[in-house]
Amino acid sequence: MDNKIKKHLDECRHKLENSQLEVNDLDQIEVLLTTSVNRRCQKIMYLHSKSTNIQSPLSGWAIYDPYKDNIPKLTSQNPPYKSVLDAVSDGWRILQFPRPENFPFSDIDNSYLTFEFILEKFI
Amino acid sequence: MIDVQPTLNDKEVFDFIHNGYIILESIIDEDFNSKCQTLSPGHLTGFIQSRSFRQNVLLHPQVAGVARSLLGPNFTLPTSAHNHLYEHPHEGQTLHSDGLTESGYGITHLQCYYYPQLVEIEDGPTIVVPGSHQRLVDREAIAHYGNITGQVCLTVPAGTVVMTHYGIWHKAGPKINQKKRSMIKFSFFRTQPPKRDWVIESDEVPTYQHSGRHRYVTEVESYRDRRRGEYTWNWLCGLTEYQAEYHPARMFVAGIPLNQIQL
Repeated sequence: MDNKIKKHLDECRHKLENSQLEVNDLDQIEVLLTTSVNRRCQKIMYLHSKSTNIQSPLSGWAIYDPYKDNIPKLTSQNPPYKSVLDAVSDGWRILQFPRPENFPFSDIDNSYLTFEFILEKFI
Repeated sequence: MIDVQPTLNDKEVFDFIHNGYIILESIIDEDFNSKCQTLSPGHLTGFIQSRSFRQNVLLHPQVAGVARSLLGPNFTLPTSAHNHLYEHPHEGQTLHSDGLTESGYGITHLQCYYYPQLVEIEDGPTIVVPGSHQRLVDREAIAHYGNITGQVCLTVPAGTVVMTHYGIWHKAGPKINQKKRSMIKFSFFRTQPPKRDWVIESDEVPTYQHSGRHRYVTEVESYRDRRRGEYTWNWLCGLTEYQAEYHPARMFVAGIPLNQIQL
């Protein structure tokens, strides 16, 4: 929870115990909640899983964070999670599940990486 | 015609089919590497056709030997190249294949990366995805891929030449320093039908040996890689019908057949 909201809630509890809580205090919480939600930043992560099962090992990954600094970082050789499920347990929400019919299938040629999950996280 | 001897044997041709690249480490003369480090970025024509570049790089016995092994005799020597020179820090390129991807099973085009200086991980090395040359994709549709398990960072000593199948997925990796990092890219093309005339111990053609699964590849994809590898092997050995194709990348890259080169 946003520290400002938590602090204001603590103050409201204190006021409530002392019968000092006013409508204005609740209005203030509403303002804080609204601005907090609008301030939350969406991070996007692509995870390529070796099957449609969300517990499968990963073959590729990419994280797009619009608010990170612009300082180049060295390439990582290890995925940030063991599986899609592992990422979900860390607070990522699945935006898109791969649909097998969208992946071209033939017995000869491979093409794009399968199976692409798109996840989001708000920070 | 200038005499160029093949250098690869059956096993090494299997490996190239499987990986899509071969690394020739530290083969170019130090003095010539130093000379190339002073080149301007961008398109190169005159220098690539100079006697010194041909002698030191294009016709270096190991470079030309791989070209001769995989493209047959009378392959073309490039008349242009591109010097990819980076100096300042950057986040790296997106993953891509170059130009128009080759759709057939044959090997008609080798794209080469020559590094005249040491390339370390901080210098933004080229990153390649082994085996990705066997995947026909729209290059713009893989631009959101980030990292792929088993990708290889080409951290190499000065004077290294990496010879690749044209379709291999690659990118310049993130660069975190101010050192100059150059990569001179050029291509060789096939002009004649394929046959198994690299270094062989026996006239008996071995069956294709699949080297296993790349780290990012699924089980069923590995079966397909094996099958596609067999097609390529049989094509290279001249066991399948050959149709001369005009490689689409030749829109961008010109070359002169070896029998027209005079040093």
